[in-house]
Order: sequence, then structure tokens, then C-alpha cells
Amino acid sequence: MDNKELFAKMEQSIINYDKDEAVRLANMALEKGIEPVAAINEGFVKGIQAVGDLFGREEIFLPELVMGADAMTAATDILGEAIKKSGGKAKYLATGIAGTVEGDIHVIGINLVTTFLVANGFGIKFLGTNVPSSLFVDQAKELKPDLILLSALLTTTMPNQKEVIDSLKEAGIRENVKVIVGGAPVSQDWADQIGADGYGENAGAAVEVARKLMGV
Amino acid sequence: MIKLEERRASIQPIKSKLKISILDDEELSKINRTARDILEEVGVVFPSEKALKIFADAGAKVDFDKKLVKIPSHLVTDYLKKAPRRYTLAGRRPELDAKIGGEDGTYFFCSGEAPSIVDFETGQKRSSIKTDVANMAKIVDYFPMVSLVWPTVSAGDKGETAPIHGVEALFNNTEKHIQTESVMGEIPAKYTIEMASVIAGGRDKLRERPLYSLLLCGVAPLAQDKAGLESALAFAEAGLPVGLMSMPTMGLTAPPYQAADLAIGLAENLAGCLLLQIAYPGTPNYICILPAVINPRSGDYMYGSAFSQIASAATVQLAHSNGLPVLSSFNFGGSAYKLNDWQVGRENVYVPLLSVMAGADMSFGPSGMIEASSLLDMPRILFDQEVFQAIDIISDGIKVNDETLAFDMIRDIGPQGTFLGQRRTAEELPKLWPPSILFEKSRIAGEKYRDAEEVAREVIDWVLKNHHPAPLDEKVRQELRKIVTAADQDENLKRELKGGKHG
Repeated sequence: MDNKELFAKMEQSIINYDKDEAVRLANMALEKGIEPVAAINEGFVKGIQAVGDLFGREEIFLPELVMGADAMTAATDILGEAIKKSGGKAKYLATGIAGTVEGDIHVIGINLVTTFLVANGFGIKFLGTNVPSSLFVDQAKELKPDLILLSALLTTTMPNQKEVIDSLKEAGIRENVKVIVGGAPVSQDWADQIGADGYGENAGAAVEVARKLMGV
Repeated sequence: MIKLEERRASIQPIKSKLKISILDDEELSKINRTARDILEEVGVVFPSEKALKIFADAGAKVDFDKKLVKIPSHLVTDYLKKAPRRYTLAGRRPELDAKIGGEDGTYFFCSGEAPSIVDFETGQKRSSIKTDVANMAKIVDYFPMVSLVWPTVSAGDKGETAPIHGVEALFNNTEKHIQTESVMGEIPAKYTIEMASVIAGGRDKLRERPLYSLLLCGVAPLAQDKAGLESALAFAEAGLPVGLMSMPTMGLTAPPYQAADLAIGLAENLAGCLLLQIAYPGTPNYICILPAVINPRSGDYMYGSAFSQIASAATVQLAHSNGLPVLSSFNFGGSAYKLNDWQVGRENVYVPLLSVMAGADMSFGPSGMIEASSLLDMPRILFDQEVFQAIDIISDGIKVNDETLAFDMIRDIGPQGTFLGQRRTAEELPKLWPPSILFEKSRIAGEKYRDAEEVAREVIDWVLKNHHPAPLDEKVRQELRKIVTAADQDENLKRELKGGKHG
């Protein structure tokens, strides 16, 4: 199988929502000594773009999009490790870190946002839920992401979105990132009030906001 | 048509003559069996050492590392027996008591605790503040269809202790029973229980007449929240009622079937209920399952799904078959849509109508909520009220007796006569024409009716200016102020709210 054929299979594995196959092909690429950046960009990314397009045209629903993004993430996790070791960089529209703020264990909203962004060509690291402000700051320092996505589902945890923004200011890195906030009780007003750069009413809107902020 | 006069608060449950059951005995038993299998084999996460110990001591299988509790069926059966089917959610006066599980029908909550409000003066959407909580409490105090009161918006100007301020605003502005669903954590719970105790005249009196209660919402699927659990234990310790809510969403936090959604929701609710019955046997509980569907394209929570509406009505049978009262509703008294959108009407009629006919003990009622219960528009409560008035009439069925068959009238008037000029018609006809904001005669020539929204605004304006809920004794009021001020300054409370509370 030449590289071209392998890349086509990678693309197809995402279109088929076949996580096992995607993982197998990612490992195969590494064994064959194929440049991991090339495997992502020429193979898997094309697959997730196709899935994203189908979703955009309303030909598939969310479950398929999630399956596609899961397969994509499984493959890029493997290749990403190799890229890190080699000091290279995958080609993403933009990179980001995402999580639910401290005191809040709701995961679904931010998971969907991450999925949507991944499906649209963003490289997102998911930090989980109940994430302290200090972890967002540490990760921002280490990974130098373009975006930070903060979710809060409770009126009582919304203030922690502000705390993350304030902590970024204190750490002197607020200007290096764009902060997008979301969650059921969150509004554009709240985003303005706490000095966030954007607000996404739902996962689709979050992608639009991210694109706008990044100019991509 | 709307006659406004100052009056003291009263409550009006709806008792339905029409009865529906959604599930047959076999279906009911299968869902109950699956819920018990979930509790026994899959388990529920309780991220609280205190809760885990309570379960372990009672004989449940507890994995302290995973914080996972598996509850054998016999424990479920034994401890559910301790939960009362009947109890009172007390108001400040006995006339305002909701007798849950009694003969009076379905009592309605106003719901919400929305973060935003449509400003009554400017019409602009803005973040809600404590004054809004107080104003809306005054409004629901005036309308009898609301028996049980949640803060409809949050006291967003009060920071971390907003939920405690919200409770204070309610106590000061309505005599009806108050329930919180946002006072989370043991310390915040205790501050608000202290407020209720001051009003009741001591802990024992509060236990006798619980004028304050909690709703604990689980984290679907099959998990609870630490702060919420510890709040619930504090309420139960004080003898206050605790409702358990779960929001399993088909295809997202539950399998994509109504039956599985109900089973997983029931398991989550029963697990919470069992914790409280083990720790404080006899704690008044109720359950509430909101069987949602997400929009499969946007991921948005869908309010108007008929699949959810019918599943929600089925929760009445599920709860009652377990000897528990139920809050059956789906929409938090709100809608995902804008005011005057026909979808609002469609959503707001089915949910409470089905709940009432299914025999729910409680449901969400007029609340003034729009945009998926994230926005309060006060005049909207008048529109909700219209819907509940219709439901009250419809669920009453038709009275058939000698008087209502009125053969004597028919005989007396005979063919080609009119019944209009009759004394009995004069007495009865106005009853067939209840107060409404819809048929207010226009003052403008050529216009038949006034805009109902305009009429609703006038009503709200009148209530805010003229209704004066029976005030708390000044000493009590001052005492509440002191408690809230102490909460505001309590560093331990801030620490509890801030860190590791889901630990």
C-alpha cells in the first residue's frame, strides 16, 4: 500500500466512523515511518472535513459527528505524541484548551463544543470538568493555545469563568489568548461583563465565534 | 375582564376528574425492574464521603475509590417504605399548605431561577438582581395558581451567596411555601434553614410545619453532586422535605428510548431518596424525572418534544408505584420559544394537562419563563395563567346531574325560546366566561380587543404597585438580615463554595 492509498484509507476510516480502523492506520503510519503531520493533514483531516461537511448540510446528525470526531481524536492522539517527540507541529486552524470551570462537573456541553471544534479542524485539548483556574493558566503557559473555552452550567459557578480571565491577566498572558465562554446560564451580557472575547450559545455558535476570533 | 383587587395570598391546586394512565402494569413493572437492576448492577456515583459511609453502613456495596454505590434490591424495598406518601409543604398560614398526596389534586410551583430578566421598564434583557427576585415573589404571592415558590430569577448582584439572598427575598415577599434548588453545600444550607427556623419560631416548629424545602438535581447519568448531597443531608436532618430531580436526556445522558430514559432517571432519583431515608428515615421526598431529547443537529435541549411530554406524564405512575409523591413536568413552566410564538402555546398546554390528568402531586405552573427557562418576562405569567385556567376547566370534565341537565328550564322555555333572560342563566353564564387577558375591550374605535400583552403589562404593573404580601414581623426580618450578612462574611462558606466541593 503506498502512502496515497494509506491516506485515502485514513480519510475513509473517519468517514466510516471507524475508530478501531483509524487507530490501526495511525499506528501503521508510524511503523512505516510516515511523517505524522502528513498522516493527519493528508489523511485524517480530510475525513473529518468530509464528516463536518455532511453535518453542515444536515445529511447526518450529532451522533455521527461525535463518532467521527472520536475516531479522529483517537488517531491524532497517537500521531500527536509522535509529533511532540519530533518537535513538529500539526496544521490546525487554531489550537485551544477547553474545560468546565471549578465547582462544576457538567461535561456534556463542553464535550460537544470540543467535538464541533475538532470536526471543524481545530486542535483542542480537553481538560475535563471542575478545572481550577490555576490549571487553565498553567496549561495556557505550557501549550500556548490560541483559544481557551470555558463552560459553566450553574449560576453559582459562572463567577469562576471571570476568575479564569482574571488569573490570565495576573499571569500576564491574557493578551495571548482569546477566551470563549458558554453554558446554559451564560449570556453575551455576561461575556461582556467579565471581559471574555466571545460567547457561544451552543456548540455550533462556538465554532462560528472561534472562526471569527481567529480569522479562519 | 381582569378584576384586580388587593387580597391576601391563596393557593389553588387543580384536581382532575379525567384520569389517564400511560403505562400498563407490565410496562410499569419492567421499568421498575430495570431501575432496580441499574441500582444493583451499575450503581450511582456519590462524590461525598459522608454519603458513601451512610450507604456502606446500611449494607450497600460501596467502592470508595470510584465513589460508586451499588444498592441491592432488598435495601431499595426496605428503605423506600420509610418515605412518606403524604406530607405537607407548609406555607406561613395553614390555608397556604400544600397537602402532598392528599385529595386536592396537583399543586403548582413557579420555577426558573433564570439568570436573566426582561426589564419591566425598558423591555431590555439584562442580568437579574435581588430586587427582581423580590418583585416576582410578590407577583406569585398574588396569583393563587402558584402554590409553591422557587426564586424565578437569581440574585445575580449578590455574587457567591446569591442563592441565600434569593431565599431571603422570597421569605420577605411571599407567605407561600418556599423551595430552593440552588442553595448547595452544607454551610449555605444551614444559613437558609436558620432563616426558616426563625420564621417558624424554632427548629421543632419548623419540623412540624416545614415552610422551606430543597430540590436536589442529579448529574445525569447516574451521578450526584457533592455540594448538593451535603445540602440535602442538612435539609433532611432538619426534617425538611427534599425533592430529587433527574434530567436524563435521550441519546445524550440516557439511551435513545423513552423507557430506558425513565428507568435511568428513576434509578438516579431512587438512589438519592434512599440516601436520605437511610440517614433520616421518614424524610419527605418527592421525585421528578425530566425525560428530555436533544436537538440532534445543534445539541440544544429541546422543550417541545411530544416524546418527552408523554414520558413525563408516565413519571406519575412510576413515582406512585414506588410509594413516592411526584413532581411531573417537563418544561419548568417555560418554553424554548419567544412570547406569542404558537409553539409556546403548544408546549405549555400539553405538559401540565397531561401531568394533571395523570394525577401528579406537583407540577411546574405559571412562571413567566421564556427562552428555555433562562429568561423571565414577568407579564408572561398572565399568559401561563390563561393556560392553567383552561386546564382547570378541561380536567374538570362535565358535571351531569338534575341541575345541570336543567330539564325544568328546557320544559319551561320550550321550542324557539331563549334562555338568556333567565335568573339561572344570569347566575351561571358568567362562570362560563372566566377572567382573561384575551378579551379586554379596546378603547380604540374599530379595534375589537386590546393587545393581550398590553393588558398583561397593566396587570403586573398593578400588582407591583398595589399588592402587599403579609410582611414578616420586623424583628424576624432583622434576624434574617443578620443571618444573610453573616453568610456574606463567612470565609468557611466561601471556601466550601469555591474549592473541592465535588471531591
